[in-house]
Amino acid sequence: MSSPPGQVAHAGGAQADLDRAVAAVNRVIVDKSAVVELAFSALLAGGHLLIEDLPGVGKTTLAQALSLILGGSWQRVQFTNDMLPADILGVSVFRREDEQFEFRPGPVFANVVLADEINRATPRTQSALLEAMAEGQVTVDGQTHRLPQPFFVIATQNPLDMAGTYPLPDSQLDRFLLRTAIGYPAPAEERRLLIEPDRRELLGKLNAELDGDQVMALIRRATSLHVAEPVIDYIQALIQATRAHAGLRAGLSPRAALALIRTARANALVRGQDFCLPENVKLVFPALAGHRLQPLPESGLSSAEVVDDIIDVTPVP
Amino acid sequence: MKQLPPFSAVAWTIAAFVLAALPHLAAMPPWLAAGILGACAWRLAAARYRWRPPPAFLRIVLTGLALLFVLVAFGGLWGRRTATVLLCVMLGAKMMEMFTVRDLRLVASVCFFLIATQFLFSERLMYLVYLVSGSLVATIALTRIQSVHAGTAKVEGGSELPAVRQAAVLLLLAAPVALTLFVLFPRLAQPLWGLPDQVMDGRTGLSDDMSPGSISNLFLDDSPAFRVEFDGPPPSPGERYWRGPVLWNFDGTTWTRPFFGDAPSRQFVPEGPGTVSYQVQLEPHERRWLFVLDYPVRGPDQALITVDHQMLNRHPVTTLTRYDVVSNPEFTDMPELSSGARAVALRLPEDRNPRTLALAAELRQQHPDDRDLINAVLGWFREEEFHYTLSAAPLGRHGADEFLFDLRSGYCEYYASAFAILMRAAGIPTRVVTGYQGGFWQAASEYLLVRQSDAHAWTEVWLEDGGWTRVDPTGAVSPARIEQGSRSVIDGPRHLFDLNWVQNMRNQYDRIQHLWNRWVLGFDHERQRDFLRGLGLPELTTERIALLMLLVLGLVMGPLSYALLRQPRARAADEVDRAWQLMLRRLKRRGLTKQASETPLEFAMRVLQTRPQEGERVVELALMYCRIHYGDNKAGSRPFIDQARAFRPART
Repeated sequence: MSSPPGQVAHAGGAQADLDRAVAAVNRVIVDKSAVVELAFSALLAGGHLLIEDLPGVGKTTLAQALSLILGGSWQRVQFTNDMLPADILGVSVFRREDEQFEFRPGPVFANVVLADEINRATPRTQSALLEAMAEGQVTVDGQTHRLPQPFFVIATQNPLDMAGTYPLPDSQLDRFLLRTAIGYPAPAEERRLLIEPDRRELLGKLNAELDGDQVMALIRRATSLHVAEPVIDYIQALIQATRAHAGLRAGLSPRAALALIRTARANALVRGQDFCLPENVKLVFPALAGHRLQPLPESGLSSAEVVDDIIDVTPVP
Repeated sequence: MKQLPPFSAVAWTIAAFVLAALPHLAAMPPWLAAGILGACAWRLAAARYRWRPPPAFLRIVLTGLALLFVLVAFGGLWGRRTATVLLCVMLGAKMMEMFTVRDLRLVASVCFFLIATQFLFSERLMYLVYLVSGSLVATIALTRIQSVHAGTAKVEGGSELPAVRQAAVLLLLAAPVALTLFVLFPRLAQPLWGLPDQVMDGRTGLSDDMSPGSISNLFLDDSPAFRVEFDGPPPSPGERYWRGPVLWNFDGTTWTRPFFGDAPSRQFVPEGPGTVSYQVQLEPHERRWLFVLDYPVRGPDQALITVDHQMLNRHPVTTLTRYDVVSNPEFTDMPELSSGARAVALRLPEDRNPRTLALAAELRQQHPDDRDLINAVLGWFREEEFHYTLSAAPLGRHGADEFLFDLRSGYCEYYASAFAILMRAAGIPTRVVTGYQGGFWQAASEYLLVRQSDAHAWTEVWLEDGGWTRVDPTGAVSPARIEQGSRSVIDGPRHLFDLNWVQNMRNQYDRIQHLWNRWVLGFDHERQRDFLRGLGLPELTTERIALLMLLVLGLVMGPLSYALLRQPRARAADEVDRAWQLMLRRLKRRGLTKQASETPLEFAMRVLQTRPQEGERVVELALMYCRIHYGDNKAGSRPFIDQARAFRPART
């Protein structure tokens, strides 16, 4: 489906800025409007994004583009296996002058954090970041420090290069609202990529289209977006289908159901709708459910196949 | 469709199947029943641990094997039992592939049929409990399956109570319909399908011969033989002789019926002052006999009264049979005895029982008068050490000698046989009558319950001045047997069921069984007519009955349907949905079918791609529909409804 059919209604102001922001990121990341849309959906649903793909497909570029467009502060952390939690969260330093401890914030204190190759870090370091993501705050030496608002983590993970890595445990994967891959661009688009100026140059031209307050306002607006009964029925049917599916170890939890409705709303907002359509649910469902479901090994199915299967058999009310 | 039904739907369906199959399982070879139960257990475990269905070839092989087993077990004989066992086996095999909602629904629905088939074998009251509980569980299963299908199933571990309640309400709603059909459905004189052929379940009823000393289980069988309702007061216990087969021939061991036993009576029995009229409900016993009091004046139309006043049905009694009888106890049977009949009634094998024959000769010398002689023998029975007991020893070649001179203890058959031999030897024409004697008077429900254990044998002697006259030698030995019934003469409890309170419970149960027989099983054409007349409905033709049935069904179903149908109509958006559905149907006729998993806009975009000339219009309408259906603004639904209804896709 090339042209998104969800342009049912429009709103001015913040909506126009959001549209411009999405368009600007799409100029930098070629042929990946669906991924860009998911990234914005995760942002406006107040969640975090995990990108799982090969090196060089544009994970970092996407993260950089997003952070630039959002105007606020941004940090990039390249995860390594000798990294300690303090390297992420920050550290308390004793200041001789006033004989006091002073907290030096780590890279996690930014509006957008790009956590590159998160699976290279030890579980201890990983969980420090994941905890910060979940709580929206950091506690060091008994002192709690709030993270800036908005706070959006884009983590990347290379699924093929497994040597010396610590894959995120299943229980922590759902700290990420969405998980997606990027994939190779289509040949024609790749050609454009080769002809056009360097991405770094294009990134440099990006302006901040949204500020932190606008993002927070959009997040709030997403939470009150109208979801009609049939769409709620559809969400319930999808969740129920995961619970009844023979190829799965367990179905989706009520928390996942809440995440689904929140993300569908955010997606509707990204698309400029003033109510939620089943399309929005359908669109975000694979990215939301894929990493939360574990297929039984004997079923021979991947979780993506199971999710597609469920979407194919669940009637849209 | 890989979606699995939840555990509870599977569990209820299996429960419904096991419950429905219970009586059938009991009637099939145990290893076959074990196989079916094993399949159920496997399916239950598969639902619990989310196993996958076995591969197709394995299913086919196992099903083939099961069919082969049925063939072997029943030797290819085709009948009711084989058919129901086959059905059970196929349902058991179905467990292996019962992995979709459709299969579950199939199994749960067939359970109703399986329950119904049990009534081809027996119509006893206890199967009402089976019917109701089986239907309830099957309905619960269907309710559970339906809730899965509708997507309203609760998370695993939720309470089952709502489903149980819902199913119970459904059954209660069905009750008036069932009652209406039961009361009004035309009754046929003959059932549409064959009657149960083996109704006795291996029990023995009264037989048509009598060999004293052979083992008889009849006296230990407390199951009902028949029940009687009298139009007036019941006769006194001593008069309750229920006439069955009359035995004339004696070969030295066994008494049998004569060649003329089935010949119709030429004697007319008139009504008299002591006439009793009554109604008998006879339990099936696979014989033609209808038991009556002496002497039947009138019976049902299809019955025959024989020369010796036995009443015979045209066919063996294989269902509960109800008949009206009028009897005149004061009738004198055969004041003139033909020489042929006299010869048969005096015949004795000459080489048997020498001591008895000698005794008869001696008595004859002492008592030239027949009545004196009979009284002398009865007096002898009474005064000598004769005992009534059910645990009597078997008799040998000279049975009457052994019994009269050595053993001196036995039950009615011993006394009747020995007495008859003695009488015949003394030159008095005698025959043995078998049947039932006594019965338990259910005072509260005013009917007489006669059990198999009330079976009895007595004699009739022919006297110059009185014709055939009943003489019961057992009464001389044990008056209690005649006055108080067979149970009174038994020393201790025969088995557990003789305890007093158990007996009381059995009597109470029989009263319910009696009502069931009377109002459910016995609700035949005649009863139906009387009942409808009682309701103020005159003679009804079949057409009128059909009309009445439709009327009552309409009265019951009408409000229900209204209540059910108006609920969705109350929703405001429904007209919008109908217009949308209409539009989809029109597109479908042009080969454009919306998949259930497609959203309206996805479908519209597909139409746009395949048929651009209409696609734009479809997209436009789909957008309008989405705005109404998924948006919060319901006000502007009119334009959509009108435009969607007006939409006509062009022919290709």
